[in-house]
Amino acid sequence: MFKKILFATTASPACDNAAKVAFDLEMKWDAELCVFHVLGVPSRGFSSFVTDVRTGENEQIDPDYVDWVTEEMKNTYADLLKDSENSTLEAVIGVPHREILRKARADNVDLIIMGAHTRDEDIGAARYRSVVGSTMQKVAKSARCPVVIISRPCTTCWKLFSNIVVGTDFSKPATSSFLWAARLAKEVNARLHLFHAVDIHASEPGKVKGQAEIEAHIEAARKKIDAKYLSQLKGFDNYEIGIREGTPYVEILKFAREKQADLIVMAHHTREIDPELALLGSTVEQVVLRSSCPVASVNHPDKAIAEKS
Amino acid sequence: MYEFVTGPLAWLSFGIFFIGLLYRLVWYIRGLNWQMDRVTYSVNVAYGIRGALRSIFFWLVPFGTHSWRFYPGFTILVFVFHICLLATPIFLMGHNVLLLERFGFSLPTLPEGLADVMTLAVIVAAVFIILRRIALPEVRILTKPYDFLVLAIAVAPFLTGFLAYHQVGSYDFWIVAHVLSGEIMLVAIPFTKLSHFLLFFLSRAQLGMDYGIKRGGMKNKGMAW
Amino acid sequence: MPEGILCNKQVVDTKEKLNALLADKSGKQYYAEMKLLDVDTKALWATLEKTCRSRLRTWLEICAHCGMCADSCYFYLANDKDPKQVPSYKIQSTLGEIIKRKGKVDNDFMRMVMDTAWSKCSCCNRCATYCPFGIDMGVMLGYVRGLCFAQGFVPWELKIGSGMHRIYNAQMDITTEDWVDTCEWMAEEYEEDWPGLEIPVDKENADIIYTVNAREPKHYPEDLAEAAILFHLAGENWTVPSQGWEETSLAMFAGDWGACKIQVESVYAAMDRLKPKRMVVTECGHAYRATVIEGPYWAGLKSGKTPVESFHYVEWVAEALRTGKLKIDPAKRIKEPVTYQDSCNYVRNAGLGDCAREIMSYVAEDFREMRPCREHNFCCGGGGGLNGIGLYRQQRNTALKVKRDQILATGAKMVVAPCHNCWDAIRDLEEVYKIGIRWTFLKPMLLGMVEVPEHFKPQEE
Repeated sequence: MFKKILFATTASPACDNAAKVAFDLEMKWDAELCVFHVLGVPSRGFSSFVTDVRTGENEQIDPDYVDWVTEEMKNTYADLLKDSENSTLEAVIGVPHREILRKARADNVDLIIMGAHTRDEDIGAARYRSVVGSTMQKVAKSARCPVVIISRPCTTCWKLFSNIVVGTDFSKPATSSFLWAARLAKEVNARLHLFHAVDIHASEPGKVKGQAEIEAHIEAARKKIDAKYLSQLKGFDNYEIGIREGTPYVEILKFAREKQADLIVMAHHTREIDPELALLGSTVEQVVLRSSCPVASVNHPDKAIAEKS
Repeated sequence: MYEFVTGPLAWLSFGIFFIGLLYRLVWYIRGLNWQMDRVTYSVNVAYGIRGALRSIFFWLVPFGTHSWRFYPGFTILVFVFHICLLATPIFLMGHNVLLLERFGFSLPTLPEGLADVMTLAVIVAAVFIILRRIALPEVRILTKPYDFLVLAIAVAPFLTGFLAYHQVGSYDFWIVAHVLSGEIMLVAIPFTKLSHFLLFFLSRAQLGMDYGIKRGGMKNKGMAW
Repeated sequence: MPEGILCNKQVVDTKEKLNALLADKSGKQYYAEMKLLDVDTKALWATLEKTCRSRLRTWLEICAHCGMCADSCYFYLANDKDPKQVPSYKIQSTLGEIIKRKGKVDNDFMRMVMDTAWSKCSCCNRCATYCPFGIDMGVMLGYVRGLCFAQGFVPWELKIGSGMHRIYNAQMDITTEDWVDTCEWMAEEYEEDWPGLEIPVDKENADIIYTVNAREPKHYPEDLAEAAILFHLAGENWTVPSQGWEETSLAMFAGDWGACKIQVESVYAAMDRLKPKRMVVTECGHAYRATVIEGPYWAGLKSGKTPVESFHYVEWVAEALRTGKLKIDPAKRIKEPVTYQDSCNYVRNAGLGDCAREIMSYVAEDFREMRPCREHNFCCGGGGGLNGIGLYRQQRNTALKVKRDQILATGAKMVVAPCHNCWDAIRDLEEVYKIGIRWTFLKPMLLGMVEVPEHFKPQEE
């Protein structure tokens, strides 16, 4: 299922948790791992200066500098690289989300792994968080493969996952996330939790829906799940369905905790990307920030269905 | 002496003046090159002419351009200086008497008092131009002795003429000095910065054509000088 | 040492030479070699005799030394009215002096000339509009750049840039495959949100051939996608050429006239090959200046015009709004005070000031002009290649002050800057001086406010 993995790192301690997962996946799935770091953002007009992603300083880049950063990455991941068999390190110049997407597309990777947090004490943490936030959001939206975002330590090895929660809003991208989650659940033999939250604030802000109306919504959602998803499981029966009402990101987090989820899978398909709201915008961002388990964002069918071998 | 400077020497200096300017004109135009100057002088001619005329016209009008309006004091100095410098000798009664005597025709003339004021205006404007040259650092850095010389050549006929007319000291001396300095100015025009007498128009026309043909003139209402 | 390994009088026309230059951190070795570079005084004088003709010589000769150009120059203003920044002084002390000495100048002098031509003038040509004699010192310093380039005295980044044009026909190392792939990639990435979106490559007889700035495909391909979406919404029949898509010219900034010719000819060849009705170029100032305004002369086109009529992006946008091809949602017009940065290259030097005002009348409710503006606007401070020259970073940052004060005086918090270099300079001035402004290109701004008819939206299941 994972032949090629792209670990997009900021090469800072913020990505340590993600790094562990990335190297673990490489070994357990016998995959190729590319540790990928975008080090400087170039200007729009003519200039050889780039803005260093970590410090925000202006730098003039030459091949030596890129080599030096790669060398530094080697030191950062020395422990993990010791046991790694099939990994490469790469540092490039560009706009982070763009270069990650370019690389994922060029190598046709099966999974992108990213870290989500920067610690507050880091230099320029606020500025940096917004860079990471918008990068994450843009990568998640456009990548053809699943994007897994890891913010907290992940103790369970992927092969040993026992509960996978997939949140759906019945959109087209959500179908892709369902298919991929089902594929993963089958592969690792985990229980698949199909989840939908009826958004009680969705229609008109401030107006709370009546109980009957909510129940009607829940009934409709159950029918939709039956029709849309269950038929596609093809014999796989290790699943259950959960439907709740409330604020979607709160409900999915509560549900995941209840079920001791090892992974949450969602689609991410907001059309507008406002960098200033990147961290607060959609349900996915909220889930990513608060979830204690990894969150996978899947929006395209490309990697959701097993390739015919 | 007076006969010599107003006779053969005058002819000679007028000759040099006209031939010199003609040479300048031909040299300038022949030196233009559409590809090197990056202006298609002979294509899009209508746009070129329009651009050239606009470029000359607005700069001949006092306060007609952004630049003239930006430096109002200097603009007044420049226009007073140039208008008086050109109009006084041409319309001076004394000169026209000479014209009538020698060539049988004359131009309208200025009242003597006005001519006097205009002569003084040239001299006073020149003094202020010199003071500005010394006082302002951005002008001082550009200034060379040559700039004072050129100004002196241009003002000398007015100073000597004024002294001669008012018979301060020896009239005979001042009138010869006046004619000589006038002739020096005529001869100097084609060979010094005074050549802007002609080249102002050519240079302005050239840049006007540049803007009229290439730099937007074919897409907008014309450069807002 | 007469000729350096990196710094010499040769043009960069092979990848080996280019890579050797790129490997030299900030041009350290390059500039060290430059200090030892000989001046070929004979060649310099021969060039001057051949190319410094009546127009330039007259300009040098009749300058009245009146100083009226002083306040027109933003370098003069930004440097506390330093007399050495008076445009006339800058040209008299360089080109004037070279001619006076009949080309017999030494290395020190040429390095001073290089500093003047690249760090004290961005060829914005504002001084030309303030000189009573119409002396264009910007044109002359552009000419001086050519003399410097031929002698090897050119900033490191621009030597690289002009080499890129010679090798890749673009200012960056992008091959035809890279470019075509980027077009496919962007269509692929955005077609989900914009059903039917495509970026047609090499379509013949299209209404519009669209050309770009290489930094877009290289680093900011969204820009290309945004252009595609707007063309799509406007219902344009458009295409991009697989070759000859690069409109910019670092060669022009460098004074490498040979490379300028090579570059624009690649674009003109695309026009001849695909026979579009007209050409539209992205939001870049010097690109338009190089390919549309000056290019025909480098290529020797006697009409002085490009093979097909060419338009800047602001012209296309103004037209699309005027004809209703694009409609602005009235609710989304910009409410806050907003100002507009006139790019010298397509406003003062190409007369497109009206287009900008027309666009702003559709999109902004509180549009505030900078003073001065339009043809008389000041350069952003990063034009003429100055943004990109590491050696002159400090001079550039100082020069930004004039634009900073202009923007502050408008009270606007948002600056519309449809030019890559202006955009950059304004971003950098915010970084250096922190005045709390935002800035934008037209495309993302328009995408946020155009009306999107239902049939352009993706169908939900």
